[in-house]
Amino acid sequence: MTAHKRWSAVAVGLTAFIAATALGVGGAGAEQQSAFALPRAQTLYMSGNQWSPNNDLNPAKNWDYITGLVGFAYETPFRYDPLNDTFKPWLATSGKWTSKTTYSMTIRKNVKWTDGQVLKPSDVKYSFDLAKISTHPQLALWTDTGLKSTKVSGQNVIFTFSGTPGYQQFDFYRFNVAIVPQHIFKKYSQTDITTGNLEKGKIVGTGPYVYQSGVGAQSQTVVWRKNLNWWARKALGLNPAPRYIVDIHNASNAAALANFKAGNIDLFNNYAPKAAITSNVKTYFGKAPYHLGANTTWLFPNTTRKPMNDRTFRRALAYSINMGQIIDKAYQGLVQKASPTGLLPIWSKWVDQRAVEQWGFSYNANRAKAILAGNGYKDRNGDGFVENKDGSTIDLKIICPNGWSDWMTAIQIIANSAKAVGIKVTPAFPEYATLVDDRGHARYDLLLGNDRQYSNTPWTYYQYIYQLPIKDNQTNTNYERYVSQKAWDMTKVLDKIPSTNTSAYKAQMARLQRVFMQDLPAIPLWYNGMWAMFNTKYWSNWPADGAGEYTPASWRNYWQMTSIDMLTHLKPAARA
Amino acid sequence: MIRYLGRKLLIYLVTFWVAVTIDWAIPRFMPGDPIERLLSRMQAQPASADALTGYYTQAFGFDVPIWQQYLNFWAALFQGDLGRSISNFPTPISELVISALPYTLALLIPAILLSFWAGNKLGALAARRKRLDNTVLPVSYVLTATPQMWLGIMLAWIFASSLAIFPVSGAYALDLQPAWSLEFALSFLEHWILPFSALFLVALGGWAIGMRNMIIYELEAEYSHYLASLGAPTRLVRKYAYRNALLPQITGLALALGAVTAGAIVVEIVFSYPGLGSLTLGAIQNRDYFLIQGIFLFLITGVLIANFIIDIAYVLIDPRTRVGMQGGA
Repeated sequence: MTAHKRWSAVAVGLTAFIAATALGVGGAGAEQQSAFALPRAQTLYMSGNQWSPNNDLNPAKNWDYITGLVGFAYETPFRYDPLNDTFKPWLATSGKWTSKTTYSMTIRKNVKWTDGQVLKPSDVKYSFDLAKISTHPQLALWTDTGLKSTKVSGQNVIFTFSGTPGYQQFDFYRFNVAIVPQHIFKKYSQTDITTGNLEKGKIVGTGPYVYQSGVGAQSQTVVWRKNLNWWARKALGLNPAPRYIVDIHNASNAAALANFKAGNIDLFNNYAPKAAITSNVKTYFGKAPYHLGANTTWLFPNTTRKPMNDRTFRRALAYSINMGQIIDKAYQGLVQKASPTGLLPIWSKWVDQRAVEQWGFSYNANRAKAILAGNGYKDRNGDGFVENKDGSTIDLKIICPNGWSDWMTAIQIIANSAKAVGIKVTPAFPEYATLVDDRGHARYDLLLGNDRQYSNTPWTYYQYIYQLPIKDNQTNTNYERYVSQKAWDMTKVLDKIPSTNTSAYKAQMARLQRVFMQDLPAIPLWYNGMWAMFNTKYWSNWPADGAGEYTPASWRNYWQMTSIDMLTHLKPAARA
Repeated sequence: MIRYLGRKLLIYLVTFWVAVTIDWAIPRFMPGDPIERLLSRMQAQPASADALTGYYTQAFGFDVPIWQQYLNFWAALFQGDLGRSISNFPTPISELVISALPYTLALLIPAILLSFWAGNKLGALAARRKRLDNTVLPVSYVLTATPQMWLGIMLAWIFASSLAIFPVSGAYALDLQPAWSLEFALSFLEHWILPFSALFLVALGGWAIGMRNMIIYELEAEYSHYLASLGAPTRLVRKYAYRNALLPQITGLALALGAVTAGAIVVEIVFSYPGLGSLTLGAIQNRDYFLIQGIFLFLITGVLIANFIIDIAYVLIDPRTRVGMQGGA
């Protein structure tokens, strides 16, 4: 063989290798006979939820399951509209407290699973009962609300409680327990049901979309196809516009944004700088802050350390933070300053303005200095920074995860603001996993957190701040390790007041806000946005303030709020 | 020959054992408890957190002493069990790695082989044409010094974002699903070109410089002058020079394999290419011990096998090695 022929053979071999690999990749994930290009005008492309691999099909794992699993396939008894604070009947047509300890939920008739079987009240009972398994993520439904038993009575499911029920928490589960088909799920083991990934061939739901393809560890997209037999078409006259929905896996913020800019994504639920909002991009608000506030960003002081254990120091720190600068520099106006109560705008009706006037705070460097001076924090050694009351040095570190660019800018501003009033604070950016570990074990001075999202009740926020007892590792509440039995008891009392008892609820909320602002165990900073940018090229009639007030998020747990309404209100954009 | 291969094999086995042990140890001594990380991500209510901690600790085998974990690891390994992913529990590691592997191989193998072939050809040409030498040499220096990640970002910026000739990221179009079809294969190829180019170009520069210098050296060697003085045509002299110059390059290829593999990781991240690189990043970010271990195990095995093949190839290519092994003068 001559050299020329030999190299030609190599070239042919390589081409064959690449082609074989392409086909191998194709074959590995192939679920249908041929590739299909989806009709662009009838397909909604979205991104922003899925960071973990597209292979978790377990509706109990609401931090991991593929986008839309609950909402598109599995549905909940009710939905909750956070922008109007109302519950919407969904798989249940109604529900009421028939006594102080009994709740009756009436299950909708003529709802069919996608395998043709009828949804039975026993499916609902079964789904709520699954949470009894000790490793079930929703175990608190049974351990913390007072729920003792469930039973089916005709078309109703009866929930019986012992003692005063935890109304607020139970309401939360009314729109967060995914109703699953007992005839399918009974074949799974308990371990599978609570921690498994379950099987794609067994996604049998009741919802507006059926799973089409894409589940796989390295899959880029998951495709959902419209369920033409969805019960709500007939029962409620609802019809989601997109025939197909493609959820795009996020590998990086930058790559996702580049895809959005290239017009490949219609609904973009990742953070993007303001420059990304161009003429053909819409947002919920037409002007700043552009996005709804989805959660509060808190500054957590480690109250087991000096001087963060002193509430006057925490107050001085709160006054020192130049929030205006954070909003302008870190977010270009994309976020709003948080209420000093920390409560989200959706809960503004519960805010006690008198308490805010008396105990609220906002940026005031002089006030911060005065509080420090008045409480014994003085610069004794002349280094420009105050020392502890006992004379020891204050040298604090504020941390946020490396790579979270908006937060990184924000904590630099917080550190500079604190220095300006004489508190020595230095920013640091550990890796997220390291930060989580240090946060859980109180190995930090100051850090940012925003774990709690929209919900039906501020109880979830107060639980986040106050929950006791403190454990060796605080995985998701009370990072600041603030021990106040009084505040935690008050939070538990709030749980036991039904939302319908407005006066008692408002009074308890006022008490909690007062106690919170007096002690400031955590400092509310700003409302992190429900990042949502809409490409108007293919779809119009997106959620907007005053004209279609629905949650515009594809994130987990939002479909059973009002994100589904976004789909039923979308319209194909008019062709030019 | 058998003794030579046996000795080599023994060295490879020892290397494998050391590498795998380090691979097993490193993630375990990294800060951060993966189960706590998992529970935080779950936002598990304290009610179920304790039960879940107990369950996961047992499921991952963290409830036994560290030496026992090490022994269990080897025992499972010999049964082909790499454990289950922590961040993507309970997916088996082998499933995650195998689904990512084709993407990485599709980038790596053509990039390694084509850059080796083209770089050597280019270097050999440059060595005998002054004008070509003046261009190839500086360009090669720049290329070989370029970080793959930076080149990847530049390629993405120029050819994807600005000129929109190629897609920005991913391994195939968003409206497609992996399937046996020409449409998918073409889309795959379109997405493959930029990440491949980032790997190919950086490697190309190194090979070209190496070969150019080697050829110049070989052409100045006594055997070349001797051959020329015998009246052999220039073409023949160069052919011999090329063959001799290729030998150190092949050794270099063995050494370069590891570096190219690392390069593939960063390039995949730049292009959101769903191969082992992206999987590795996710695994490190999530402190997914078993997944990190599993991926590196595949890489270690791959690099060792490739080196072993090159060792054998060396015997076949270089007659002096064979003569040496047979005890010839």
